[in-house]
Parts: sequence; structure tokens; C-alpha cells
Amino acid sequence: MQWGRRWNIARLRLRSLLRRNRVEAELDKELRYHLERQVEENLTAGMAAGDARLAALRMFGGVSQVQEECREMRRTEYLDNLWQDLRYAVRMLGRSPAFTIVVVLTLGLSIGANSAIFSVIDGVLLKPLPYPNADRIARVFYRSKVYAKFPMNPWDFADFRARNHSFESFAMYSRHDAQLSGAGEPVKLSGFRITSGYFRVLGVHPAMGREFDFSEERPGNGRVVILSDGLWRRQFGADTGILGRKVMLDSVPFTVIGVMAPDVDHPGNAYNAVAYGDTVDAWFPFVFEGNPAQRGSHFVEGIGRLRAGVTTLRAAAEFNAIMTELATRYPNDRNWTIYMAPLYDEIVGPVHRLLLVLLGAVGMVLLIACVNAANLLLARSSARQREIAVRAALGAGRGRLVRQMLAESLVLSMLGGGLGALLAVGGVRALIGMLPAGFPRVAGIHVNGMVFAFTAAIAVGTGLVFGLAPALQSSRLDLQQGLRERGGSATGRQARLRSALVVGEVSLACVLLVGAGVMLRSFMNLLNTNPGFQPQHVLTADISLPSKNYGTLEQISSFDRKLLVKMNEVAGVQAAGLGSDVPWTGYDENLGGFTIEGKQESPNNSFRARYHTASPEYFRAAGIPLLRGRFSTDGDTKDSPKVLIINQAMARAYWPNEDALGKRIDFFDDKPKESDWYTIVGIVGDVKDSPESGGVKPAFWWPVSQQAFEIRNQSVILRSTMDAGALASQLRAVVREIDPTLAVGHVRLLDRIASESYATPRISVYLVGLFAALALTLAAIGIYGVVSYSVGQRMHEFGMRMALGASPWDVVRLVMRQGLVLSFAGTVVGLGAALVFARALDSMLYGVRASDPVTLACVAAMAMGTAAAACYAPARRATRADPISALRAE
Amino acid sequence: MSKPSDLIQGTLDLLILKTVALEPMHGWGIAKRIQQVTKDVLQITQGALYPALHRLEQQGWLRAEWRASETGREAKFYTLTRAGRVQLAKELEQWERLSNAVGLVIRTA
Repeated sequence: MQWGRRWNIARLRLRSLLRRNRVEAELDKELRYHLERQVEENLTAGMAAGDARLAALRMFGGVSQVQEECREMRRTEYLDNLWQDLRYAVRMLGRSPAFTIVVVLTLGLSIGANSAIFSVIDGVLLKPLPYPNADRIARVFYRSKVYAKFPMNPWDFADFRARNHSFESFAMYSRHDAQLSGAGEPVKLSGFRITSGYFRVLGVHPAMGREFDFSEERPGNGRVVILSDGLWRRQFGADTGILGRKVMLDSVPFTVIGVMAPDVDHPGNAYNAVAYGDTVDAWFPFVFEGNPAQRGSHFVEGIGRLRAGVTTLRAAAEFNAIMTELATRYPNDRNWTIYMAPLYDEIVGPVHRLLLVLLGAVGMVLLIACVNAANLLLARSSARQREIAVRAALGAGRGRLVRQMLAESLVLSMLGGGLGALLAVGGVRALIGMLPAGFPRVAGIHVNGMVFAFTAAIAVGTGLVFGLAPALQSSRLDLQQGLRERGGSATGRQARLRSALVVGEVSLACVLLVGAGVMLRSFMNLLNTNPGFQPQHVLTADISLPSKNYGTLEQISSFDRKLLVKMNEVAGVQAAGLGSDVPWTGYDENLGGFTIEGKQESPNNSFRARYHTASPEYFRAAGIPLLRGRFSTDGDTKDSPKVLIINQAMARAYWPNEDALGKRIDFFDDKPKESDWYTIVGIVGDVKDSPESGGVKPAFWWPVSQQAFEIRNQSVILRSTMDAGALASQLRAVVREIDPTLAVGHVRLLDRIASESYATPRISVYLVGLFAALALTLAAIGIYGVVSYSVGQRMHEFGMRMALGASPWDVVRLVMRQGLVLSFAGTVVGLGAALVFARALDSMLYGVRASDPVTLACVAAMAMGTAAAACYAPARRATRADPISALRAE
Repeated sequence: MSKPSDLIQGTLDLLILKTVALEPMHGWGIAKRIQQVTKDVLQITQGALYPALHRLEQQGWLRAEWRASETGREAKFYTLTRAGRVQLAKELEQWERLSNAVGLVIRTA
């Protein structure tokens, strides 16, 4: 019953608010009815028509008064007052445009920055992954003492799939790009080989056709393909009759058995990574081939859907038990454990910290903007003491005064919020442009209703936060004193409050400056590290050779030779090389084990290194220096003695006190023949995986003509004497000339790849730096405001001092001291806080710690310098105090 | 003749609630009914009646709806809600206590 009443009341209030005209009309009609009945009664009593009406009106009293009283009963006068307050606030703010502009601009900038960062966080972190019950999807990797995350072995996977009880379905996937030919220019497709449960794990289904089943994992049955919606539309004109048709992939016919639904996102992968999102064109069945007892090769990644109620921890425990059991049967499975992580963590994990740091930074800016606005409002309210006193004297209650002041701050924050929303729309677009290439879920970043709601919420919130203190403060005034004093002076309490606010502003700004400072130092360190190669004027591209036409090493070598010869003839090409990969294009755990002649492997020092291939000119083209020995040459052929290039890290790891040149390595498990041995002929400089990675892993390069097994995905690398981008079309023409069925993919400039590798630290530096600059500016405004106000108050005193013999310099010192003391206090607090907060940054930094003393010193100097600059103008003004008028007033 | 302002505070609400408790009525009807029942002793002016009606409606004691009146024109009829009935009982009880108390003073003094 009570609820019924509440509901009624709420309904009526809402009605009075929203359907004001209707309610007014009804009131009118109701009163008119009464009046007419009165007129009728009067007429019945025998009055003349005119008199009856007049008498009725007289009896009624003032119609508008009655109406007004009825209106009041609706309890909406509160809102009407608010409207009045708002209008008054707008008028008052219009009268001091400088104040209004400064506050609205600073609020707008900081609210906009917050909204922009929030849209990124909303799109990347908050929005659920587009898979049903995505929290139950987990990624599965191997882990060892050396490798935190390592791909699985397919046969192991088969055992896990058969034996585990943790997953509803468990699948694996592995990168497998393909070349689509047959119609027009060949196209390089981004593809994956997947086991039959893969789409069930993700919880997505084909829009047409079916998924793979177990039978397609058997050798000979794998020539089927599922197309992505995008590929189906792009290349096949959304042909609904495509099911059952054959398409040429890597020059082999594949039957299309399904077309995926649109918006099926690739969940991302770590090995030969393809970024999260709409990035995959086709899926092939994973076909189990080879010897199930050989479990040394690792190249597939696990993904599974946990049964309801099973945690990744429990699932990992079960998998580890299976792994232990497998290790007793297969020596290759020893020393591995299982690492499991929720899919969400795998996808957003790498950017989680960055985004939270940015949110923290931008939140601090907003806090500073609030403090700043509160400070300016306080100064303003002390200048308006008289007006407030008059209003109080005329009967405005304290609540009414507070509401009035809050209305002003709300108007300011709303204007700021509006400006912020506009800035956010532009800012998000700029942000997306700055994000690193592999940033997860970028497609999900939009300025949407959620973002606008957030903007509105922080606008109102900030309005209340920065408005409340000044409103309470100024409404607490002593009426008599307020009326008596002209202009009024700040009370001691208010001055203290304002000083405290400035100290707070400066310290927050210092925290941000320290953050920006150490990030900048870290970024500089990254830029200053030698990448180990020379990325300028280098073009790279990928070419994959289909195994049908390039089944043997001879066929691959022949293609490579032709391509390199022709490319070397192209004008402007300084060096044309070719190899398995190019630097900084992804971190592959492509470890090869080997035997070193005359050395015994120990459990602590197993012989493993990254394998690559390289043509003779590869290193010259990439700008990787030869330290000792020689590069491979055209004379190193399949039939000549095998040679090997290694990096310095490998030389150090396995031949710490001897010369690696001339030593021999073998890559075959069983007794090597004399021709199986590779002799180390050259040592090249180290190249890191990425600019921020700590050390360099041992690596070696087979000459492309002597590779131990056929590597058909190759990268061309061309060093040019001029604009390398111009070589792209020539490369395409040359490839087409040699084999028209081949596609040239991923044409990129190496310096572009290199600069993308810096994208994450760069965007952190830019944004945190921007926020810090904003914070420092706000703090300067705050200091200026307080000092300038106090100078205004003390002009008389300065005049007296000068009359008593103080020099202008003494006065300047006096004023400066006020600002510098505030700034010093803020700096001390801020640096202390920075030491605590900045620890969160340590993992994002390279070669510098968050407590870097150089940065701290620079920040302190900047804070004090800014304070001095902010005090300069008020100090100058103080020296213009007139001693004569000061004396006269005395 | 007594003006409503002479009525003890809150009595008007009681009168209205009690009157409407019989049947749904419009403002004119309520004023007339009170006037008749009290034999013209209490004449409620519109200036007091309508704000009171609106207040009672806003508080959820009364519910209003537009209906054809006895003259054929539409009028705003007020009905006592269930919450209003409870409120009426409360106010009646208070009134009894008050008038008893006043009576006691008058008789003994």
C-alpha cells in the first residue's frame, strides 16, 4: 500500500514536471468549472448575468493566487527555483567572462581528456568480449623455466583433448596463411588451421554450411575451408551458392564447406601473431600428420571453453597431472608445465596497465581542474561577499544561498562538460590514430551513449565537488561584517583553504610530471638503444610459396635465386635479400634443438636457438653488421659443405671462451653423416626481439639454399639508395614475371615497422606528457590566482612598507616568497606521493626507475620555476603600490 | 461564519477527506457539501479548498480523475485512496483526542 502511494506521488510529480502545460490547463479547467457553478448558482438566485459573474469572481478571490498556491502544492517550486538560480548564474558568469572562460576551458580540457580515455577503456576493457559466456574461455600454453609462454605440441593436444574433464570443448589453432588464386590477382589470405571444436569453444557458428568435424583432421581429408564473411563478400561477391564449390588455395583446390557469420572476431594468438579482431580470412582443418611419438615440435596454441564452475586454476591442475603422465612416456614432454589464462586477460592483458595508468593520469588532471575551479570560485566569492550579504539580509536562507552558488558551479561544469564531449569526439579519433598497430579491440572504441553518460556524470560530479566548498564557505559569512566591508577581505580560514588547495594542485601536478618524466627518460633510452639493424630506406614484403609447386628445396632455391637476381638489377636497389623473417615483426619461439660437435648437452644448458634463413645479401639489406667471418655466398649451395651464420648471443652462450668460427653443428637427431654438419662461418650482431626486450636470444641463420627443412613463407628485404617505397611496384612486377600465381603481401617499410615498435611507449609519453603539461598550467593558474588576490588585498601594506623604506625588490621578494612557499610545500608532498604511485609504472619503463633522481630533481625545478613565473606579474603589481596614498589613508 | 483560516490547522484536510470518503466528488461539490452539512457555518473558500485538494492529491491521499459531472460538463473528481482512508482514520482519532481535551478544559475551567 505504501508502495502504491509512493508510486502515485512519483507519477504526479513527474507529470507536473514533464507535462507542465497539460497540468496547467487542467488546473485552469478545474477552477473555471467551480466559477461557472458559482455563476449558475448566482443566476438561480436571481442575479443579472453580468452581476452573477462579477460576484462569483469576487467570491473566488484572486484566481492567479489560487493557481499559484495550487502550483506550490505540486512541490516543483524547488525546480523552478533551480531554473531561476541557473538563469541568475548564467547572468553572473556572463559578467566576468575571463573567469568563466578560464574555468570552462580548463574543465572542458580535463573532462574531454577523461571522456576520451574512458571511451578507449570502455571499448577495450569494459565491453564484454563478443563471445557468449566469454569468461569461460581460456587460453592454454606450455611453460618452462626459460619460457613463460610456449606453443603446444599437436599430439600432446590430442591427448589433452581426449583425457581432460575441465573443458566443455578444447581446440587448438595455428597460423596458416594461404594464397587464393584462380581469379584475377592472387591474394594473400590470413588463415588458421583449427581443430574441430574451435568454433564451439568460441560459441560462434557459420552463417552458412557447417564447422569441421573429426574426420577432417585425418590425413587426406583436409582440403576443405571455411571462409570469413569478409572474404566471402570481397572475393566471392557474397555468392550464396558457394558451398560445395572449389577454390584454389596455394594452387590446390579446396571445397568451401562454410561461411562464418559476420563479426566473428579472431581471439588473437601469440605465435605468428594475428591481432585480435576481424583479421582472419579463412580457416582450414588441422590435419594430424607424422609420428605421434615425436613430440618435440611446438607450434599450436590451445583454447578451450571451461565447464561451468571450473576455474582456470583447477583446469591447469588437471592438465599438469596429464602432462606429468605424458612426460613418463615421451621424453620431449619433460620439463614443461601448463600455463592457463582467461581469454580476456590474454587479449587485453598487454594494454591493461597502460590504460589504467592513463586513466589515473587523466583523473588527476580532472582533480586538479576541480581544485583550480574551487580556488577561483573561492576568490570570486570573497569578492562577492557584499552581494551575498545583501541577499542574506533580504531573507535568503543558507540553503538557498548554497544552492545559488552550486547553480553557478553546475553551469560552469556543464559548459565544461559540453566542451569536453566535443573534445572527446575529436580526441578519440586522434587517440585511435596514435594507438600501436597491434592494440587489441580498437574497432570497439567509439564515443557512444555510455561515454556521454560518463561525461555528464563527471561534469555534474565535478561541479558539485569544486562548488561545494566555496558555496559552504561563502554562505557562512558574518552578515554585518559582510555588509559593512567594501569588497571584503578573505577571512583567515578562507585564505588557509585556498593555500591548501594550491598545495594540493602543485603536488598532483608533480606526481604527473614525475610520471611523464620517467616515461620520457625511458622512451629516450629506447630510442637511443642500438636496434642492431638499420631500418632506413628498406622495404620488406612477404611471399609464400605453395607446397604444390615448390615442394622441394631446389624449387624454392630456384625461385629465390631468380627473384634476387632480378631485384638486384632494379635501379635503386642497393642490396636485395631474402629470409624467413625480418627484425621486429613478431616474436616467434621457433626454437631449434641441435648437437654441437664435441660438446655434451646438460639439463641446465640444452642446445637451443632461434632458427632463421637468410640469403647472402640478407644482412647487408637489413643493415645487420658482420662481426667476424663471412656471410654465406652464392657458392654455398645444396651440394656444397653446409655453412651457418650465428649471432653474437649464440657465440657467447655456447662458446664463451673460444672462437665459434669453424665449429660444427648438426640438426638431425640420429647419427649425423659428414654432410649433415653445418660449419659456423660468420658471426653477426645481435638484434633484439623488440626495442624494450631485455636480452638477445641465441639465433642462427641457415643459408636459404641450405635450409634444414623447407621454409616456404619468406620475407623479401630490399635496401634502396632512394625512396624504398617506390620499389613495391617493381617487386610485384618481378614476382609476377617469375610466377603469376604468387601474391606479394605485407609490403612495409622497415623504418615503419621499427617506429611501430615504439608506438606503445610513444603514446604513453605523449599522453602522460600532455596531461602533465595541462596539470602544470592549472597549478600555475592556481598559484597566480592566490598570490594575485593576496597582493590585491595587501596593496596598502606594500605601500606602507615602501613608504617606510622597503625597496621594490623587497616587495617582490615578499610576494615571491608566498608563491614559492606554497609551491615548495606542494612539490615536497607531490614528490613523496610520486615515489609511492610511480612504482606502478616500473614495469612499463626501460632503463630507468620510477624513482629516478634526475627526473625528481627536474620536476622539483620545474614546479618551483613555474611558481616563480606565476608570481611574477602579481609581484610586479605589488611594486606599483603607491606609498603616498598609503600614508594618506593612514 | 467562520473562515477556514480560523479552523484549527489540519482540520480542513480532515473535512475534505471525510467528505470525499462517501463518494467521489469535485471541488464545488465538496465545498457545497461541507456548507450544507454544517448549515452554512463552515464556508470554505476556493482559495483554501483547491490548494488543499492539490496537496492531498500530491500526498497520495486523494486520486483525481476527469468525469462528466451532474451538469454534463467534465469536472475533476477526487476519490479517497486506500492510503487516504488510513490517513483519515488517523486524523479522526487525533481530532477526537483534541476535541475531548478542549472539551475537558472548557467544562472544568
